Amino acid sequence: MTKNILETSHLIKDFRPAASFSEWAKFNFTPPAPTRAMNDLSFSLERGKILGILGPNGAGKTTLLKTIATLILPTSGTLSFFNAGPTAITWTSQGLTNEQTEWQLKSSIGLTIDEERSFYWRLSGHQNLEFFSALYGLDAAATSKRINELFSLFGIDYGAKRFDSYSSGMKKCFSLIRALLHNPSLLLLDEPTKSLDYATAARLKEFIKTKLVQADGKTVIFTTHNLNENLDFCDLFMILRQGQVAAFGSLAHLRQQISNPAATIADIFLHFTREA
Amino acid sequence: MWHKPWAFIKKDFQNVASYKLALCLNFFSIFIGILSYFFIDKLFGQKIVPHLAEFGVNYFAYILLSMAFYGYIGVGMGSFTNQIRNEQLLGTLEATLLTPTKVSTILFSMALWNLILASLDVMVYILLGVFLFKLNFSNVNILSSLVILFLTIISFSGLGILAACFIMIFKRGNPIGGVITGIEGLISGVYFPVSILPGWLQTVAMFFPITYAIRAIELAVWQGYAVSQLYREILALVLFSLLLLPLSLVLFRYSLRKARQDGSLAQF
Repeated sequence: MTKNILETSHLIKDFRPAASFSEWAKFNFTPPAPTRAMNDLSFSLERGKILGILGPNGAGKTTLLKTIATLILPTSGTLSFFNAGPTAITWTSQGLTNEQTEWQLKSSIGLTIDEERSFYWRLSGHQNLEFFSALYGLDAAATSKRINELFSLFGIDYGAKRFDSYSSGMKKCFSLIRALLHNPSLLLLDEPTKSLDYATAARLKEFIKTKLVQADGKTVIFTTHNLNENLDFCDLFMILRQGQVAAFGSLAHLRQQISNPAATIADIFLHFTREA
Repeated sequence: MWHKPWAFIKKDFQNVASYKLALCLNFFSIFIGILSYFFIDKLFGQKIVPHLAEFGVNYFAYILLSMAFYGYIGVGMGSFTNQIRNEQLLGTLEATLLTPTKVSTILFSMALWNLILASLDVMVYILLGVFLFKLNFSNVNILSSLVILFLTIISFSGLGILAACFIMIFKRGNPIGGVITGIEGLISGVYFPVSILPGWLQTVAMFFPITYAIRAIELAVWQGYAVSQLYREILALVLFSLLLLPLSLVLFRYSLRKARQDGSLAQF
């Protein structure tokens, strides 16, 4: 088994706004300037680590996670995912080479979408999970066992209620449970603590550290824009600024880089974003 | 193999069942529609009778069957665009595409519930026709009807998936759904037999699969035509299916990749 689970090389993502009809009416056919969300982004992530990605809104955090999950294809650059075997699954701006490798990749990655709307609101939480579980290839017995297991882990006893009756925090829990249904080896958590209260957020981080990473050996990428959040549970940090990696490494390494052994992650973030 | 399609059917049923009034109103609107055609037949039906000689029925029987059958055409034409648009609006398209499921499985599974619903609608049409309006379905050739039904759904699925490509990239604005459906209704024999139209419009109608589908189903149901007697219509539907379905699947994969490159999967 390779040491790294994920490698990205020179990732660039440009979002080009749709051509405006009013510009065409003025006979201006020059395409609008693109917005660069990722700018030459390269990094490697070791298996069994928790990577915390910090960045202000618009820094490219969600774009990076969605690119890893293949929901967005990069404009240029390469991504490589190393599952159990030595051969990497690699993809570029053209996507994956075939459907088989795409399935392998999707079976190994779980993404929590930072969107409450990503569920069927007229169905119950349980019915939603049953549907997505089937799409992940679990049969009825395995689905029932997995959902019960995850419900007891998260202390959920409201699975039979309709999804639109849940609070934001409850919906967040379901997003995380859906990402865990197929037991993926790489978990991409997009601002999972955003609408959670302090105690629930602390429990979630504890769960990620002790259960998902230490006990089950999963690798986690966790994004946040909240510098006041306790991020002690992360092994590594990446600070993103305007789509570029401003800093990457462990807390100790980053403290060393700015020659401040007592710096908090907020100090480090401000240092690297101010320096630019 | 059927595990994932079944999950779609179950999910769509649970969703539709949560809107019980809309489901009941759907069946009620069929009754209202049939009643309207019944009175239109009383008013103008005799004028069309010479054009219906080859089908051996009156206008009311002709329109009842073509409207019932049009529901299946709607499955092919509308299911893909409506479902993809719904998933875009609900925000569930990304979550579905995150799963290890073939694009073709997702597409066809999305249409299955509508197929079941269209079949229920057809049953309502037939039951009302038999018990309320005393129509006689005893000549029906079941094999021919099923063959026509199958080929119609396949060929119209091709058109429906082509329309879904527009929805995937442009989100709104579907020229195939709007324009072609309108033209089809006018010239393809849904509301009246094609023979009423002027010669040049009858020629244009030959380029639409629905013309063959409606004519074939009317002949199979009312005159009991066997598959061999409908070879011209069946051949046309097979050719439309062979051309449209593979082409539409290739184009849908392309439009999905384009949406991923644009980063617009979650947009609506």
